[in-house]
Amino acid sequence: MSDVTDLPAPQGDPTEGPAIALRGLGKRFGDLIAVKGIDLDVPRGSFFGLVGPNGAGKTTTLSMVTGLLRPDAGQAFVLGRDVWDDPVAAKRLIGVLPDGLKLFDRLTGLQLITYAGLLRGMSRELASERAAELVAALGLGDAQGKLVVDYSAGMTKKVTLASALVHAPRVLVLDEPFEAVDPISAATIRRILSGFVESGGTVVLSSHVMDLVERICTHVAVISDGLVLAAGELDDVRGDRSLEERFVDLVGGSTEVVGLSWLRTSSD
Amino acid sequence: MVAHLVRLKLTLLRNIFRRSRAQAIGAVVGIVYFAVFVAGLAVILASLRGSLDAARVVIPLAGAAGIVLWTVVPLFSFGSDPTLDPGRFATFAVPHRELAIGLVAAALVGLPAIASMVLSAGVVVAWSHTVASTAVAVVATAVGLLTAITTSRWVSAIMTHAISSRRGRDVIAVLGLLLLVVIGPAISVVANLGAGLRDLATTAAQVVSWSPLGWAWAAPGDVAAGDPGTGLVRLALAAGLLVLVFLQWSKVLRAEVDNPRAVSRSDSGASAGDDLGLLARLPGTPLGAVAARVLTYWRRDPRFQISMAMTPVVPLALLVPFYTGDVPWTPLLMGPLVAFLLGWSEHNAVAYESDALWLHIVSGTSGRDDRRGRLLPDVLLAAVLVPVYVVVGVAVADRWDLLPAALGLSVSLLGAGYAVSSVMSVVMPYPVPESGESPFNAPPGAAGITIAAQSMASIGTLALASPTILLAWLAWQGSPAAVWAAGVVGVLLGGLVGVAGVGVGARLYERRAPELLSALRRS
Repeated sequence: MSDVTDLPAPQGDPTEGPAIALRGLGKRFGDLIAVKGIDLDVPRGSFFGLVGPNGAGKTTTLSMVTGLLRPDAGQAFVLGRDVWDDPVAAKRLIGVLPDGLKLFDRLTGLQLITYAGLLRGMSRELASERAAELVAALGLGDAQGKLVVDYSAGMTKKVTLASALVHAPRVLVLDEPFEAVDPISAATIRRILSGFVESGGTVVLSSHVMDLVERICTHVAVISDGLVLAAGELDDVRGDRSLEERFVDLVGGSTEVVGLSWLRTSSD
Repeated sequence: MVAHLVRLKLTLLRNIFRRSRAQAIGAVVGIVYFAVFVAGLAVILASLRGSLDAARVVIPLAGAAGIVLWTVVPLFSFGSDPTLDPGRFATFAVPHRELAIGLVAAALVGLPAIASMVLSAGVVVAWSHTVASTAVAVVATAVGLLTAITTSRWVSAIMTHAISSRRGRDVIAVLGLLLLVVIGPAISVVANLGAGLRDLATTAAQVVSWSPLGWAWAAPGDVAAGDPGTGLVRLALAAGLLVLVFLQWSKVLRAEVDNPRAVSRSDSGASAGDDLGLLARLPGTPLGAVAARVLTYWRRDPRFQISMAMTPVVPLALLVPFYTGDVPWTPLLMGPLVAFLLGWSEHNAVAYESDALWLHIVSGTSGRDDRRGRLLPDVLLAAVLVPVYVVVGVAVADRWDLLPAALGLSVSLLGAGYAVSSVMSVVMPYPVPESGESPFNAPPGAAGITIAAQSMASIGTLALASPTILLAWLAWQGSPAAVWAAGVVGVLLGGLVGVAGVGVGARLYERRAPELLSALRRS
C-alpha cells in the first residue's frame, strides 16, 4: 500500500466539489482483492481517463461507481450523492456504458434507446424524440429499425452510448467506449463527448489505448493491481514524457522480450 | 472427384480410431453395440419373407420412417456433417454435378449409411419370393436408400442456409419443438388403440405405399404378390422421385457453392425503421415500458414463443382421461392448471434476459416497476385464458354448481404463483438457454439447480394456495358451503398473496439487484 501513501490526499469535501469522489473503495472476490481501497477525485467538467493494464480493476471500480457492483468497503459519490446510500438520486445523474454486458437485444436500436429513456421516467414524447436525435447523431439511422442482436460490435457500442445519453446525465461513466469502434465512428463519439464536456458535463472513461487517452483527456488516473498509482491533470501525470512511457514506468512491467529467438528471421 | 470425396470421407472415418485410446475403445464398443442392434433388426426384416402380407405392411412403413429419420435426425442431433459442408467447397473449382454426386457417395460411406445398407439387405431377403421380385427389390431398395441419403443432404443444405440467419434459426427451433410436442400425444393415441393398431397399420401402410416416401419400399411387394404392373409403376415413380430430389439437391448445392454467404447477409426481421412497436402502445411509464419490452420479447424470442404455445395447449391434456377413461373431475382442473402454469412460469423470468438487467439497475428502476411490469403481460394473458378454461372445464364436466370453487382455486393459484415467482426470480435465478440458442439446449451442469428451483416454485405455489385447495376439495366432496367458501377465499387469498408477494419481491429486488446481476453473469 506504500504507493498510495505517496499520493497527495484528494482535494475537497467528498460531498461537494468533485463530480465523482471515491473514498476507500474496495472489492474482494474470494481470495482475490480486485480493488484495494481507492481514493480518487474526478473534478467537475473534466474529461477523465482511467488507464491500467488488463485486470487492474478498472471495470470493477467503474461498476461500483455506477451501482452495478456492491463495494465491500468505502464509498462512491456522484456530485455529492452517495451511490450506495442514495442510489436513486445518484443514478439520475449518471449515464453508463458498461463493458461486456448484454443488451435487450431483441429490441430495435430505436426501441432500446427509447426504452432506456422510459425507464428513467421520461415522457414517451421526449424519450422518442431524443432517441431519434441520438440515432441520427451517431449515424445509426439506417439501422434504427434493425434488432440490436444483428448489430456489429461498433454499432452495439454506439447504441449503448445513446442509451446512456438519452436522459441528459451530468456525468458519463464509460467502460472501454472505443473498443471495436471504427475510426470514423470513434471521431463522432469523441465530438459528442467533447461537446458534452464543454457544456459542463463530466466524462470518465476507461481504456488501455494510451494514445487515445492522451489525445482527448484532460485528467488521467493510472490504476494497476487495484491501486491508484498516479492521478491528476494529464500534463502533471505524464511529465515531459509520453503517457505510454510514464505508464510502463509506473506499472513496472518489463517490455523487454525474453526468448522467441526462433521468431527472428535472422536466425536462419 | 467422386473418388476424392469418398477417400476424404474414409479418412475421416478412420480418424475416429486415431484419437486417444479411450475414445477409440469407446468408438469400437459403440459400433459393436450398434452393429448387433442393426444386425438384429436386419434379421427381423429378413424373417418377414415368411409372410408376404406382413411384409407389405411393415416394410413400406419402416422404409418411410427410414427416409424421415435420415432427414430429421442430422438436423437435431449431429447437425449436418461440417467436414463435407458444401459451403467449404466454394473456394475450389469443382463442377457442381460431380460435387453433388460425390457428396452423396461420400455420405454412403458413413456409419449410418452402412447400417442402412445392412437393413436394406434384410429387406431384399424379405422380398425374395420370385426372381422378378428379387430383382425389383434390389433396384427399388437401392433407389429408396439413395433417395433417403440425397434427401438428407438436400434438407441439410437448405437448413444450413436457413440456420445462417437468425430468423431462420428461430423458425427451425420452434418447428422442432412443435414436433416434439406432437410426438407425445401421437404415441398415447397409438398406444390407446390396442386392438385397432393392426387395422391402423394396414391402412397407414396402404396410404404410405402410394406416397413418395413409400413408392420404392412397396414396389417389390406388388411384384411378389403377382401384380407386376403396379410394382413397376411404383418403381418408376420412385426412380423419378430420386432424380427430382437429386436435381433439387444439385440446385441448392450450386447456389451455396456459387454464393456461400448469400442468405446470411439478408436478415432483418424487424419492424419499419422508426416504429416504436409496443413501446408506443403501452403507457409511457417505466412500468409500461417494462411490460412492453416483455411483450416484444414474447413475440421475437423463440424461448418465450414456446411457452406461449405450450401453456394454452397443456390443459387440453386433461380432456383425455375424461373422454377415454371416464374420469369425471379432470376437466374441472383445466382453469386451475392454466392459472398455475401462468403464475409458476414466471419464476425464472429474469434469467432469460441474462445480464441485460444492468440497464434497469443503472436507470434506478424501482422494484415495483420492475416486478409489476414483468408480470403485467402474463396477467393480461391470464385474464383471457383463466376465465375461458374455468368455464370450458365446468361446462365439459357439466358441473356448473362447482363454478365458484373452480374460479376461486384458479385465482388463488395464480396469485400464489405470482408471489412465488416475484421472489424467486430475484433470489434464485438459474441458467437457461441463451437467447438465440436452441430452446432445447440445456446449459451444461445446471440440471441440479433447475430441478431444485422448479420444485421449490411448485411447492411454494401449492403451499400458498393450500387453504383454497382444501376448500375446493371439500367442495368436490359435496359440501355446498365449501363451494362458495372456496370461491370467496380463493379470490381474496389469491389477490392478497399476489400483491404481498410482488411487494416482497420488489423490496428484495431493490436490496439485491447488484447481487442478482452478479448471479446472472455467473450463470
